[in-house]
Amino acid sequence: MTDRYVAEPDLEFVNEVIGLGGDSLKKCFQCATCSVVCPISPDLKPFPRKEMIAASWGLRERLTKNMDVWLCHECGDCSTKCPRGAKPGDVLSAVRSYAIQKYSPLKGVGKAVNDPKKLPLLIAVPAILFAVLVFINMNLSGMMESIFGAIGLEWSHAHEGEHVIAHADFFSTWFVDLVFVPLSLLVVLAFVLGLKRFLTDIHEQAVADGKTTRQKLDYVGVLKGIIAVIPMILKHDKFSECSENQDRATPHMMVLFSFIALFVVTGIFFVALYGLGLPGPYSQLNPVKILANVAGIALIIGSALMIKNRLTKTDQSTSYKDWYLLGLVLGLALTGMLSELTRLAGAQALTYFMYYLHLIFIFNLFAFLPFSKLAHLVYRTVALGYGNYAGRENK
Amino acid sequence: MDKKYCVYICTGCGIGESLDVDALCEVPKEEGVSVKTHPFLCSSEGIDLIKKDIADDGVNAMCIAACSRRVNFDVFSFEGCVVDRTNLREQVVWAHPRSEFPALTEEEKEDEENFDRVQMMAEDYIRMGMARLEQINPPEPYELETFTNKILVIGGGVTGMGAALDASKAGYPVTIVEKEGALGGFAAKMRSQMPVTEPYDNLIPPVVDSMIQAVEADSNITVKTETVVARIAGQPGDFTVTLKNPGEKHSFDVPYPLPEEMKFDENGKELNAEQQFEVYQQYNEGREDVLTLDPEGEKFGSVVLAAGWRPAKIEGEEYTHLGIGDSPDVVTNTQFEEIAKKGRIVRPSDGKEAKSVVFIQSPGKDEDDRDFQYCGAVTSMATLKQAKYVRDDYNDGKAYIIYQHMRTPGLAENFYKSMQQDPGIFMTKGEVIKVSKEGNGLAVEADNTLLGEQIKIKADMVVLSAGMVPETADNPVINLAYRQGPGFRDNDIFDWYADSNFICFPYETQRTGVYAAGTVRRSLTIEDSIEDATGAALKAIQCIESANRGVSVHPRSGDMTFPDFFFQRCTQCKRCTEECPFGALDDDEKGTPKPNPTRCRRCGTCMGACPERIIGFADYNINSVGSMVKSIVVPSEDDYDEPPLRILALVCENDAYPALDMAGMNRLSFSADVRIIPVRCLGSVNVIWIKDALSQGMDGAILLGCKHGDDYQCHFVKGSELASIRMQKIGDALSSLALEEERVAQKEVAIDDYDKIPEIINSFVEEIEALGPNPFKGF
Repeated sequence: MTDRYVAEPDLEFVNEVIGLGGDSLKKCFQCATCSVVCPISPDLKPFPRKEMIAASWGLRERLTKNMDVWLCHECGDCSTKCPRGAKPGDVLSAVRSYAIQKYSPLKGVGKAVNDPKKLPLLIAVPAILFAVLVFINMNLSGMMESIFGAIGLEWSHAHEGEHVIAHADFFSTWFVDLVFVPLSLLVVLAFVLGLKRFLTDIHEQAVADGKTTRQKLDYVGVLKGIIAVIPMILKHDKFSECSENQDRATPHMMVLFSFIALFVVTGIFFVALYGLGLPGPYSQLNPVKILANVAGIALIIGSALMIKNRLTKTDQSTSYKDWYLLGLVLGLALTGMLSELTRLAGAQALTYFMYYLHLIFIFNLFAFLPFSKLAHLVYRTVALGYGNYAGRENK
Repeated sequence: MDKKYCVYICTGCGIGESLDVDALCEVPKEEGVSVKTHPFLCSSEGIDLIKKDIADDGVNAMCIAACSRRVNFDVFSFEGCVVDRTNLREQVVWAHPRSEFPALTEEEKEDEENFDRVQMMAEDYIRMGMARLEQINPPEPYELETFTNKILVIGGGVTGMGAALDASKAGYPVTIVEKEGALGGFAAKMRSQMPVTEPYDNLIPPVVDSMIQAVEADSNITVKTETVVARIAGQPGDFTVTLKNPGEKHSFDVPYPLPEEMKFDENGKELNAEQQFEVYQQYNEGREDVLTLDPEGEKFGSVVLAAGWRPAKIEGEEYTHLGIGDSPDVVTNTQFEEIAKKGRIVRPSDGKEAKSVVFIQSPGKDEDDRDFQYCGAVTSMATLKQAKYVRDDYNDGKAYIIYQHMRTPGLAENFYKSMQQDPGIFMTKGEVIKVSKEGNGLAVEADNTLLGEQIKIKADMVVLSAGMVPETADNPVINLAYRQGPGFRDNDIFDWYADSNFICFPYETQRTGVYAAGTVRRSLTIEDSIEDATGAALKAIQCIESANRGVSVHPRSGDMTFPDFFFQRCTQCKRCTEECPFGALDDDEKGTPKPNPTRCRRCGTCMGACPERIIGFADYNINSVGSMVKSIVVPSEDDYDEPPLRILALVCENDAYPALDMAGMNRLSFSADVRIIPVRCLGSVNVIWIKDALSQGMDGAILLGCKHGDDYQCHFVKGSELASIRMQKIGDALSSLALEEERVAQKEVAIDDYDKIPEIINSFVEEIEALGPNPFKGF
């Protein structure tokens, strides 16, 4: 006889999922309408019916180790059709937030990101850090020049020729990169650590549930799987299969592509500055600059549309974690564009202030990437890649 | 009564257009009976016409040939007169439209071989109506010599108290007898109860305390605790009740009827009535006979039976896998309630806090999904309630419910939803395989759960959902001093609940004057029990308010007739005593029946049973129907080369007759060779009517009545079943006359079967056609 599964509900887990926006989870009466209406659930062992009972029973491991919660795109068809108002889409979303917290290495940060009371702290940390750096930049540039000179580097990235307003005069590009390059490395490290455990867990669970025939986890195989699913992710194929929230696919795509474009732009300018020695600001006619401007505008529009969707769709619950991320993205885009516009308008104090705010937003986005809802960018991609590798194809 | 007859033919509603009314008028005229027609007989003008005849000519027996007796019954009702409602509208002209049954043309009329089936039918019905009028008389009510309006309530739980309070408010003195030392019943032993008002989502303190206070404060209610009923003798309006302490031996303890095997001697020969009575007296040594009234007995008019329930036992082979008996921490829901009533929920074994409790709703095993016996919605809700206790007592408490069925009817759904919302209540459908000790606690194993596989749950306690067994399961409780026995008969078909017809006649039992309410009738919540109590109290009042006027209580409410016995010709065969569905007759030591008219429901089953034909009612008796049968004209080959068939239909007036009327209203046609006679119940059909019909040349007889068997629909419980037995026997008699058994049939018709009725009748007619005409025709 096989070993029986010992069902040990974790009351704390239930309460946390409720706190993360899954407050309807207990309403499920297991009719499985959700699994039937879901346009992307696999035929074999479909979700989210089984996830709903596991959630209401507080079976933490069952859910955090479950790749299926990442196959869900929260399109909301299940929540709309649910006869009981149990909103499986929202419950899975809350479970994903919980899983992100679980796999991220610094639990405290993870909790803070999902706690509105900690928001002032999350803002204060970069605000103080950047204020100190601004102070150094504005008042102690001589000292910085000598320090940099001592190791053979040019402190100033000031534009040659006539004076233009440059944000580097307010906040040195050195400081920008000295903060964000190490931060990025830490973020990558956090993801690597998290993903290793994540992959081990979802594989173990997939084997136990009979969702895959592969016994041993092969990282190269998973990587191939990830590469294979990237076109699907970029094209938002799954997203557009949803009927309820189809209008969310376009804004989401705008935001995703904007981020990719801005990432590329930042990379090019990084090379331009350090490799070619070409400091900003760059001409508005520069094709890279044009791309940056287009992406910035798209980011504003995309995130604003997403906010509007959330506000008008009252049947879908939106919790703090959603507002935090949406606010962050919109704020980031707005302050970015405003920094540029005020700079071009010649309002020096205002543009410096905008830039300061922009830096705080960027810090929040970067530093808390592995802990916030935005981490789905990585976890979902990996889970979809794993699904491709494991042979658990979506419909 | 000296009768002055008159036939009134209404020509409205299509009757005049369809029938040759002049020819119809010839029928009474030939008999020397006056006849009048009116185009709108139920109008005030039409009624005035009749009233004028009553006043001027002394008409007092009228055949109203118009619409069905089921309509305008209040219009065609005349003080001191006998009325026959000859149904020309629904069952003649509407059910036989001229489009399908064309009238004869003038040309056709010249040939005497031609006949008009519909016209013949109408003429027969007028003859039958006139014949019946000769045999019936206006009824006189039966008056009790002594009468009381006191109500006895058996059981002092919420139901009994509810019934007592309601009856008292309506002005009736009530006595509650409660076998235990205090009022309250099981409701007083609960910690909390299900909600009774909006929003129905949380537990409330039991309402029983306020009811006890109200009962104690009510001067119209007498409470007798530690008291049970030794016997209830007599009849509604005049019951003589002997009360006693539980366990006490009393000379007025109720005697039991003789078991079947004791009615025979050593040689297997049935003892005669007097011998049987002797054995019966020995069998009930020390107990007075049913006909002896306790001189010290208390008088009551009617009885509410609210004896309640007791928890089912969960024991035996079938349940060993559930660990009951093995561990003191496996308890039933009633035991759990006791623990909860005392305080925080702790384990019986060691007094440790029980923070993880598994509630098991179904025994599971053998892939059978049935619940424990006598489980249902109430036990489902009790489990939800008890799961809430665990959560109320412990913040980190966990309550698991493994069910096969979760039933929360009506607004109790709100309660279910609210319990489901509790983060610490976990529910799954599943099949419990095993409960075993594990470490310091218990482990429950279940298969086929919603969680997908074989699961195991660790528990401090396990609670099994024991059902609610009605007190009437093995105890008559009411202890009626009736010849048929002290309890309700055949209650096994209701799983021993006290009931007679759950759907149509709630509260009414098989014993007039005894009304069941609460969990003795079906498992009910406290809220439903209180509502049930009101229903039974109203029935008990209805009974008193009918018995005092000498009219029937139900279902023939207000019927003033009652069975009259011509005792000189009684042969003491006891058939009436034994077959009465309501135990209305108690025979004496010789076997002569003693009628108890207020117990009687006027179905006429005794009349159908009596081989001597000595039982009848003022307006319904052997001769009233017999003369109708005899007045049907049966054409033979002397009249026509191909004479039409004549088939008698005896139709139950409760379901089948209205169904026939509805067929007519819907213009559904059936054979015009059938002659319909309504009967009170198929149980009242005396085989002499069928013999008469066949011996006068009619070709067949069909009985249309209610469904019988375990899920019977008979308004009189047994009538259609008894009829079917009698019809089987008549079949044997027919064969001895060289008549085919198939000429007599009984068919089941429900009131909503109107669309099937034409098919039922026509296929019977076809069968008879296939058999050919009755060979006795024309003799």
